[in-house]
Amino acid sequence: MNDISTRPVPDNSAPFQRLHPLSIVLKSMGTLGQNVFAILILHFSLFDQNIVYSMLAALTLITLVFGVTTLIWSRFTYQVTTREIRIKSGLLNRNNRSISFDRIQDVSLEQKLVSRLLGLATVALETGSGGGEDGQLDALARTDAEKLRDTIRDYKAGLTIGNDGADDKPVTADAPPLFAMDNRRIFIAGLFKFSFVLLAILGALAQNLDFLLPGGFFNPRSWIDAFPEQDTINGFSSWVRIGGALAAILSLIMIGFISGVVRTFVREYGFRLDRVDSGQPGFRRRRGLFTLTDMVMPIHRVQAAILQTGPVRARFGWYHLKFTSLAGDAGGETDHSAAPCASLTEIEPILDECAIHQARADLMFQWVNSAFWWRRAIIASLLLTSIALGTGLLVHSGLFAIILLGAPVSLISYLNWRQHQYALTDSQIYVRSGWWRRKLTILPLRKIQTVDVSQSPLDHPLNLATVTIGIAGGSPVRPVMIKNIDFDQAMSLRNRLITQTTNIPTAD
Amino acid sequence: MTEHASNPLSPEAFAAQETCLSPGYNQGLTSLHPPQKSLIRIGMIIRALILLALGLAAEIGLQIQLGVQPGMVLIPVALIAAVLVLVLPGRIYRRWGYDMGDEQLRVLRGFLWRTDTIVPFNRIQHIDVAQGPLQRMFGLSALILHTAGTHNSIVTLSGLATMDAEDMREIIKDHIRQDMI
Repeated sequence: MNDISTRPVPDNSAPFQRLHPLSIVLKSMGTLGQNVFAILILHFSLFDQNIVYSMLAALTLITLVFGVTTLIWSRFTYQVTTREIRIKSGLLNRNNRSISFDRIQDVSLEQKLVSRLLGLATVALETGSGGGEDGQLDALARTDAEKLRDTIRDYKAGLTIGNDGADDKPVTADAPPLFAMDNRRIFIAGLFKFSFVLLAILGALAQNLDFLLPGGFFNPRSWIDAFPEQDTINGFSSWVRIGGALAAILSLIMIGFISGVVRTFVREYGFRLDRVDSGQPGFRRRRGLFTLTDMVMPIHRVQAAILQTGPVRARFGWYHLKFTSLAGDAGGETDHSAAPCASLTEIEPILDECAIHQARADLMFQWVNSAFWWRRAIIASLLLTSIALGTGLLVHSGLFAIILLGAPVSLISYLNWRQHQYALTDSQIYVRSGWWRRKLTILPLRKIQTVDVSQSPLDHPLNLATVTIGIAGGSPVRPVMIKNIDFDQAMSLRNRLITQTTNIPTAD
Repeated sequence: MTEHASNPLSPEAFAAQETCLSPGYNQGLTSLHPPQKSLIRIGMIIRALILLALGLAAEIGLQIQLGVQPGMVLIPVALIAAVLVLVLPGRIYRRWGYDMGDEQLRVLRGFLWRTDTIVPFNRIQHIDVAQGPLQRMFGLSALILHTAGTHNSIVTLSGLATMDAEDMREIIKDHIRQDMI
């Protein structure tokens, strides 16, 4: 009864609302934080460390920033009608945007640390039109933000299942989560997120803050001078020196692990994936240590599942489950992380929710043509040989050694070939790729948008072809590809993929 | 296949492959509207002129700086330009093709890098029929299909007779459905 025809026309009388006033403070703080440096630089350079001038400048800056932020805030209004949200913004260039609830792919609430203290939340609406968030309300009171999300959800519920869906609202907080990670699991996940980011940050900090450090901090000579007896170092045996070098390398590796663990904790702390049934069935994901995010993604928007792992992780049986949908995840990622570190048995129920099946044990994966690796190996070797010859003859004879790089490049190509496989069932295609970053894409055939068979000039003599599958969402630079298979095989594979999309007209 | 395998870059092998494919350059699909060949040629003439201008500049520069023989640069460049204008348009033209099925459109594009795309009609979000000033001169139009896919979000089939493009649009239009994703 609550279908589209009886739905009231969009009522334009809904009041235009402003964002929460505290968001002015929030944004001003952010802008000021970026400008503290400028003041500091002025303090030390132009004002010649005159504290009065610097204070005056700081005061002017604060007034300016607050004034402009308040002005922008006062010109930003939004209106929530029964079927769309309208956002008016802009100081001089007025921008009037309306986003229909139908087109919203997912709604996420985000709370940074300060917002949490102030009880605010940022609402981000994704329509999947590319280019990040399409509507961002930064920031509303937490309750208002949740109300807005529920409004959108309830609208969609009314559209899909009528009234009965909206009546039974199970309390999702009590239901056991589909997937959750305790601290131990997050720690394990962090171990595999080995990165040198922390080191880079430390380096950048040291670069920027070196005026705080005593002069010559980065000058190794001043450190050597600091040792009272230079001779003691010279007196050490070479084993001690090697030990010192090893210790340095080990500490670098430790830093890599620690930064991975820290970053993972900050991001994934309290990770919890629920199924929500009120409204459209969807996944609700909550995570974050300082910045809390709360995202809801409708299940029917899931286009494909991706299981990522690595050579070491695979041995321990840990996988990262991601979902491809039209809208991207926060932080510029193209896929929605659904389980950052889970075993296959834990992933099974999550995949069941969106009717995607894991590969059966007896499913035969097919390999692609071995030209996949040897052609690359030949090209890379030729290229390296010419570089080695050129630089070796002209610059330094030691550079002939560049030729040796051909061996690891060929080995990696070979390993990548071993991992590049595909399998087709009646309803899904499985594509494996990558040796170091192993990726298994499980794609329901009904979600396929287009299929390409392409040949490069190098493919013609071998009669090979590459099949590229276009799906909604995912990375535009790395689409689902089956590389270097026989041309006829590629054509028949495409026929089987395409018949699935056209024979089931009701699929969506 | 193994005899080529030892030397994938060999031009002989490439040429042999080329000739054995020759009966159906575009795999028996519908060819584009013939004036498209002239349009490709115009594009090639523009490229050839740019190439010739660059070649002339290089020639004069090298002659003044290094005193190379006249024609050392210009003659090869002129040869390349001649190939571009006289040989390539016909070859490119016969490589392209499309096939309008009941449920899907197949588009074969490219000369050296060939792509063969199939777009099911029910996956198309919206359609454009576009025409540039040069295309208008030849009575050509391009059919532009927008899909929801991130890869292949826009599939362009250029070089159709305007009438054909509009007919195809009408046929495809009926298949477009709401909210495919």
